[in-house]
Formats: sequence, structure tokens, C-alpha cells
Amino acid sequence: MMDYDSQLKVQARLDGELAAQEVPELEARLAEDSEAQALLAELEMTRGALAGFEAGVKLPESPELFWSKIQREIRREIQREIQRGPKPAEASRWASVFAGWQRWLAPVGAVAGVMAAVLVIGRSERAPEVETYLADSGAFTYHDFAARTTLVWLSYPADNELVDSEEPDTLD
Amino acid sequence: MSAKVTAACGLGWFCAALAGLVMNPLPGVAAESNLKLEALLIWGTNDAQSSDPKHKPAAPEVRKKLQELPFKWTSYFVINRKVLEVPAKGSVKVAVSEKCDIEVKNLGNATVEVSLFGKHEHVLNRKQALPKGETMVLGGNAPNATSWFVVLKQTEATATAESQPGK
Repeated sequence: MMDYDSQLKVQARLDGELAAQEVPELEARLAEDSEAQALLAELEMTRGALAGFEAGVKLPESPELFWSKIQREIRREIQREIQRGPKPAEASRWASVFAGWQRWLAPVGAVAGVMAAVLVIGRSERAPEVETYLADSGAFTYHDFAARTTLVWLSYPADNELVDSEEPDTLD
Repeated sequence: MSAKVTAACGLGWFCAALAGLVMNPLPGVAAESNLKLEALLIWGTNDAQSSDPKHKPAAPEVRKKLQELPFKWTSYFVINRKVLEVPAKGSVKVAVSEKCDIEVKNLGNATVEVSLFGKHEHVLNRKQALPKGETMVLGGNAPNATSWFVVLKQTEATATAESQPGK
């Protein structure tokens, strides 16, 4: 059984991301190791089977710009607070405690509102809205919210789960 | 801090709470009950015809579901169909082919835990909500650059003799 690092190297070779000094060693292994060959063939087939896959919930602008807007608004609010000066001394103890919380509530509330908007808008617009994640090294999950479909794709090990075909399993 | 800012952050929290309810409805709303599921074993290929005359083209709605996935196959043939009735808090295991079994546990609130077995070896375990209208598809590569799929969804149909009793 190939170890996880070796599997990742095979994936990296397929993606053209394997370090140049590691290529000869992997090529030598691929020439001799049938399991490594099977994995490479499997990954190539999987890549071939996926047509036009493009995932992602996209913000209308870059995440950095989005966050910088929130940061600027927080700073502006803090400046306003400083300019107003200290609160009158007669303010009650509970009022000052609440004011202390308000300092945090404003930025956190703003962020929560933005996240809520992204979540709700993300569910209702643009089809297909998908998320993908790797649950383990041999499977990934693709969820299409618009189509209400979850795909769990088993990329490794390769096998024919259909029927006992007369044709030999190519990757066994 | 101004009243406007206080109102704005209050609105933010309200929106967040509302979004939370939309995304994750309160537990216990859906009653615990038996789940009636349909499991289809499907072969995805670019061949217009299957070499096995017993393989029928998938129904249009199933074909549409599969075509919405990011795959290149043009034809989908039904190899086998099973109907399962999974009792509340129980589980049912069925063979969808000689090499492939699935086990479905009913966790309540239309949530299932699906286990896939290939050649009787446990290959995958997946837990997810599967309410009516939701489809779960398990898939993988098959020989000659084709694919197999197990399509699982709730059905209104009454469970048949194909179902096995819960464990």
C-alpha cells in the first residue's frame, strides 16, 4: 500500500507541481510499482471525467478589499468615539458596562451581518452553487445547492463496482 | 456610540440569527419515521447503447440530475434498482451489484449514514441530511474510461420485497 506522501507526489506530478529533484525518483517508482501506476491512471481518468468543474462562492470583490472596508469602518467609528470624549460622569454603572460591550458589538455585529448576507445570497443566486471538500484521501464531495445534489466521488482505489464484466478491470 | 451604530449592529445580529435558522432549521421539526429510499446503480458512458440489453436508459429526471454534475458522460444506463425502507434509528444493507453493497442508517430528521462496501470491504462512510428532493450520488471510475454511480434519494413508493429488514 502506498503511503500518503507517495500518493500526494503522484498527484503533484500529474498537476506539474512536483519538485524537479523528486521527479526522477518518482518516475523510477512509477516504472516498477504497479500500484503507483494504477493510482496515476486513476487520477488521470478522474481528471478526464470531470468536465467543466468550477467551484466557488465568489465575493463581488477581492477578500482583501472586502475586509479592508470593514476595517476602515471600524477605525472610523473608533475615531468618532475618541473625538466625542469621555462619557458624562453621571452615567450609571450598568450603562458603562453596556457601552463597553457596544464597542465590541458594533464590529462583530457588522461582520455577522455581512456573513449572513453572503450565506443567504449565496444560497439563492447563481446556479450551480457548490462546495467541495476532501473527506479523506480517496474521496471528495461536491455539493450543488441549486440542484440539491451531493456527489461523493471515490477516486482511489480504482475498481469496477458495476457488474462482473467480461472485460478485464483495467486498473486491478 | 451613536444610536445608529447600535441599531446597525442589532440588525446585523438579527440577520445572522435569521440566516442561522434558514441554514439549519430547528432540530426536532421533522418527525422520526421510516425512510423510503430508492438506490439506483447507474453506468455512465459515452456509448449510445449498452452491450447488455438488460441495461435500460436512466429516467429523464435521473439523467438530468447526473448531467448537472460536472461529468462528460452522454449516456446513463440503469444496471440495478433497489427500494429500501429504513426504520427509524435502524439500518438496511442491500447489494446493488455482486461487488457492491450499501448500508443506510436512519439517524432521524431525514439524516442518513451511508456506508459503501466494495467486494465486501468497507470503502466509505458518509453522514448527511437526505430530505425529499435531495439526492446523494456516490461514484467512481469504471473500466474503459466509464463511471459507475449509486444514486440515492427518498421516494414515495412503498417498499417492496427487495428491501431487507432493519438490523
